[in-house]
Amino acid sequence: MTDDDRDPRLLTGAYALDAVSPSEAEAIERAADSSESLREELDGLTGTATLLGLAATPVMPSARLKADLMAKIALTPQLTNDPPASSSTPISAVEASASAAPAAPAPVADASAASAAPSVALSTESDAVAGPRETAAQRRWFTRPVGILTAAAAAAALFLGGGFVGSALVNSGSSTTVIDAAASQLAQLTAADDAQRTTVAVQGGGNATVLWSNELGRSAVLADGLPSLPDGKVYEAWYIDSDGAAPAGTFTAAGTGTSWHVLDGALTPGDAVGVTVEPAGGSQAPTTDPILVVQSA
Amino acid sequence: MLELVSSDRGPTDAENIDAVVSFESLLELVSQGDQQAFADLYDRTAPRVLGLIKRVLVDHAQSEEVAQEVFLEIWRTATKFDGHRGSAMSWILTMSHRRAVDRVRSSQAGHDRDERIGLRDIETDYDNVSETVEIRIEHERVKRAMQQLTAFQREAISLAYYGGYSHTEIAGILAIPVGTVKTRLRDGMIRLRDEMGVTS
Repeated sequence: MTDDDRDPRLLTGAYALDAVSPSEAEAIERAADSSESLREELDGLTGTATLLGLAATPVMPSARLKADLMAKIALTPQLTNDPPASSSTPISAVEASASAAPAAPAPVADASAASAAPSVALSTESDAVAGPRETAAQRRWFTRPVGILTAAAAAAALFLGGGFVGSALVNSGSSTTVIDAAASQLAQLTAADDAQRTTVAVQGGGNATVLWSNELGRSAVLADGLPSLPDGKVYEAWYIDSDGAAPAGTFTAAGTGTSWHVLDGALTPGDAVGVTVEPAGGSQAPTTDPILVVQSA
Repeated sequence: MLELVSSDRGPTDAENIDAVVSFESLLELVSQGDQQAFADLYDRTAPRVLGLIKRVLVDHAQSEEVAQEVFLEIWRTATKFDGHRGSAMSWILTMSHRRAVDRVRSSQAGHDRDERIGLRDIETDYDNVSETVEIRIEHERVKRAMQQLTAFQREAISLAYYGGYSHTEIAGILAIPVGTVKTRLRDGMIRLRDEMGVTS
């Protein structure tokens, strides 16, 4: 191999097409940090590759993909906008470190979220209960300092760490139409301006997050690693007010991954949301103690 | 109409699209934690993101998985988007392509992609009936620009971008020196850039 072969400058085309190895990509990035003309060439060729990308035929994603994403982002902290280290931190380096996650050092916010996750008790009352009352602030919890985030970040890590949600997702509906409808309801709910959430420990293990919007009059339960039930049993959700518990639909869980259920019926502000284990088909009134109860506000 | 577009040496396609839908401002809102903005951004870009990923991966279920990773990444790192380096659409598609290629190289999917993609030419996508006029124009524009390349350059770029092959893999497939592949990719991309009037 001659010196010419090693010149990163010759790899700009391959780089823009993602046809280089991670170490080559790094070498090019480094070289571009000290060469304006190389940086320009990289950016221009990367923009050109985008046009090749735009020429691919668009494909409509399933409704479920959006619902899963909306559920995930509702619980996923964002990277804070650190003061730029220097102008030499290129976008592609950020992307590279993100996509090469195992090898590259994780950004600060990620590292703390991930390391906090295993050790933080999600049932911490102060975080879980105080949060929902601060409506506007609540929606922006992910931009608050990391220390305040522990419970929320841990909840997010649950979802991120739970692997890919799609195959493990178990929802109350069985037909595609029902699932699509529930999925779009979940997406609306997570995006609602007044959406609030509380994460609690589930009796018997695991954690669950209840999301609700008074404006939409709707709520949902999202749980990671909710145990699968023996034959003949289902989970049933309830809207609970001073008159008692009204059935809000049954659902099942796979034991791994994320389960979610959009409650049937309408949420009245101040209702509590509860979940019990009931005989298959569900009950008209709870027959067991709830595995979780969350008071909406 | 096609003539008009392809002779336009002003803004790039990506910039035209962004001007209409303001992906940059959506991304700015997303970076502040706006979930509705994220939903809008998703609605407007997901078919393109999935289309590109599926072009590389072929398998639909895997492509949706990768698309989900990409959008989570957009959510997490929206604050890192730097508008001086390129458009929002370019940022998103660059991320999408990189993730798709990562998946191809790290999974079983990579092993049988020769049969699935092979030396498939870019033209194979043009018959899709659901194409909008806008997409057809983009196709036409890319196709025309691709025709300005040598057959060797076109082949290398297609293998790299749509096939997800690295330059060393391409050298193996075509049984030519790695240096030759690098040159074809670079010269070809520079030619494409100039043909399509991309400014950086």
